[in-house]
Amino acid sequence: MALPRTPLKKPFEGLRVADFAWVGVGPTVSKYLADHGAEVIRIESHTYPETLRRVGPFVDDTPGLDNSGYYANFNSSKLGISLNLKHERGPELARRVVAACDVVTESFTPGTMARFGLDYDSLRRVREDVVMISMPLYGQTGPWASYMGYGHVLQAATGYNHLTGWPDAEPIGTGIPYTDFLVPHIAAVALIAALDYRRRTGEGQYIDFGQMEAAVHGLGTALLDWTVNGHEQLRMANRDPEAAPHGCYRCKDGRYVVIACFTEKQWDGFRAALGRPDWCDLERMRRKWQRLNEQREIDRHIGFWCAEYTANQVFRTMQDFGVPAGIVKSPEDMHRDPQLRHRKHYWRLRHPVMGERTYDAPAFRLSKTPAVVTKAAPLLGEDNEYVFREIVGLSDEEYVELLADGAFE
Amino acid sequence: MPPESSPVPLPHPTGPLAGYRVLDFADEKGQLCARLLAELGADVIKVEPREGDPTRANGPFFKGEAGPNTSLYWWAMNAGKRSVTCELRLDRGRELARRLAAESDMVIESWSPGKSAEFDMDYRSLSKLHSGIIVVSITNFGQTGPYRDLLATDIVGSAMGGHMHLNGDPEHGPVRTTAPQAYAQVNFQAAVGAMIALYSRGLNGGVGQHVDVSMQEAMSNAMDTAQATWDIRRVNTYGPGIRRNNSGVLGSRYLFEARDGWIAAQQAGGLIGPHANVIIDWLAESAEDRGLSRPEWRARLTTLVPPPTPEERSFVEETFGLFCRTRLKEELVAEAQRRGAGWAPVFGPREIVESKQLEARDYWVRVRHEDLGESFIYPGAPFKLSKTPSLQRGRAPHAGEHNDAVYSGLLGLDAAELRGLKLRMVI
Repeated sequence: MALPRTPLKKPFEGLRVADFAWVGVGPTVSKYLADHGAEVIRIESHTYPETLRRVGPFVDDTPGLDNSGYYANFNSSKLGISLNLKHERGPELARRVVAACDVVTESFTPGTMARFGLDYDSLRRVREDVVMISMPLYGQTGPWASYMGYGHVLQAATGYNHLTGWPDAEPIGTGIPYTDFLVPHIAAVALIAALDYRRRTGEGQYIDFGQMEAAVHGLGTALLDWTVNGHEQLRMANRDPEAAPHGCYRCKDGRYVVIACFTEKQWDGFRAALGRPDWCDLERMRRKWQRLNEQREIDRHIGFWCAEYTANQVFRTMQDFGVPAGIVKSPEDMHRDPQLRHRKHYWRLRHPVMGERTYDAPAFRLSKTPAVVTKAAPLLGEDNEYVFREIVGLSDEEYVELLADGAFE
Repeated sequence: MPPESSPVPLPHPTGPLAGYRVLDFADEKGQLCARLLAELGADVIKVEPREGDPTRANGPFFKGEAGPNTSLYWWAMNAGKRSVTCELRLDRGRELARRLAAESDMVIESWSPGKSAEFDMDYRSLSKLHSGIIVVSITNFGQTGPYRDLLATDIVGSAMGGHMHLNGDPEHGPVRTTAPQAYAQVNFQAAVGAMIALYSRGLNGGVGQHVDVSMQEAMSNAMDTAQATWDIRRVNTYGPGIRRNNSGVLGSRYLFEARDGWIAAQQAGGLIGPHANVIIDWLAESAEDRGLSRPEWRARLTTLVPPPTPEERSFVEETFGLFCRTRLKEELVAEAQRRGAGWAPVFGPREIVESKQLEARDYWVRVRHEDLGESFIYPGAPFKLSKTPSLQRGRAPHAGEHNDAVYSGLLGLDAAELRGLKLRMVI
């Protein structure tokens, strides 16, 4: 079959997105669309600036709404407008933006969009085939629907604290608002599935996305182990119920490595890598189930061994002997990582205020229609003129009048 | 004789991906990705070696007893799929797999780079069968580059993807999340790549493509501000333990012990920051504020001018800790939320399953395992699409459970051909 001669379109070319979402989850979803060709319009306001714009890291440690690396990273390739929804004409202007859009995304507490006449039923009247996704923490209904919070606390409610840390100490959780970096991918799957259905049938729909419901799908076997076996899994630091050795060890240069032996072949490689010390040949180390009972001793030996070598030496030696192993990479290491560099994982983009900065790219490469980042994150209100005059169709007089009246604050 | 129909997967014609077919050759890095597509309506066929997929040996097991159909890992990651056996080490097996691929829209595989070409299952070779095929290749580090052949499991992905550096505490060092997150991340992000390729195909006259997914890169996208913090401030973020790390600066304690467990409440429960008065009032109402309701404390804690000393911070955190220790966590959270503070309880698996919120959302589904004569509670759809819902489609398949249905029903093999394949140990 001959390939079409015309160049391929970017995956979401021709789609326009009204992005009311904020903080971590929503912007990551619309970043996928923006970096793959959609025209995404971030709808923000000066009166209630987006939380991420107020959180660092800031260039030169100087707070400023257009100076946050946190915000910038999740908003590449997007347009930005400012609109005060509490201005008497704010909701109407928002609806006119939506009328020109295919997708609406938002992550407010349930009821907020409805208060401005921007709920799905209202928006469907201005754009019948719109696909709308709402992504608050706990979904649109239920006793917790109005509960507030961020990924720092949602990781607690969804089991990630319980399952991260040392078993005899606090459930410290991950060091980050973890669910903010887990659930957006699941939301993007839901949204693109709905878009594909719309492409084939012309029908839009509404997606009630509760972050909690998505997040617990990342818990591996923990839920079924409880519902089926009545066994409640607990954090086990760096161990694994099915591998020994399995852990994280400090090396001579102060850096950490990880080593994992799931199979007998890997254990044989591990013994060879260590030069077959006597303790490896003890009878009680012979089978995996035995080694699982001897992990304290195994960890002690590996600790001594690792203290003699640099992290890189341990990592390379283990890999050479067929043992899965890695270095615990710091953010600095990540920027210098030869693999990520080869893969061009990080994008460098020039931002008018922040200068040239590093942006995360998708974890996948599409061979024919790859992600193409088009611009750095928008300044607050950067694209007001384009959106309100060319897309919404305001006249010069109307635009200036609304501007003077604070509608775009 | 028509093939005997299997009780699973449950039909799902109203899913948004109904009508698409996906072949799943993947290990831990791609089975959950394929399951999400099955729940959206795709016909997902898991292709296993004759002795069954190696991940059937992943624990934990039903009643703790290992067996071909008792792996809870298998149950969780492969529910809703059909299963065929096919021996790719044999020429006839590869030929059969290619015939299946010719009838599919997408192939998901996680062989180490280069391996798929040995099976004639690489994108180049499959795209000759039909130009619309999408091949999703999920590997540890991607198809190219200096690390492409390195070995990895979840903890290696978590380490090399930067995540472990952000977890843990300054005293003990880095820690992995016990529920494997490098695997979870790469599955979910691969699903996004797969969906974008599928959408692109519809837009571009049916042209498929190759989707090259890296577990290291998937994990590296979960670094919060740490990537930007290094880029902008040249500071390495590390595991903050029970505190929070804000752009490389160690912040206040966020985890507190209640009478029956733990709660997550940022900035000493909100006692430090612009909304501190809300929490101070609450503590004062029960006379447990230890003097924090005095005007000078209120001014300090809301404005942070001058910033509290480490000793003062400890006093504030201790005050809050004493307040929490005598109360139940869900009561604390409910009252905090009523007062406008975004707290949450620390839940383990049991509490998640018993959660009133998830119950009110009709979240859980009861899945029949007719083979065991029992049914079990599974998590339900991860999201609610109003027109084309996601659906849990019953238990995971036994190895080769759908051989007859797929090989006769889909490929049109007759009984003699099927017998031949079995005799030659292809299926």
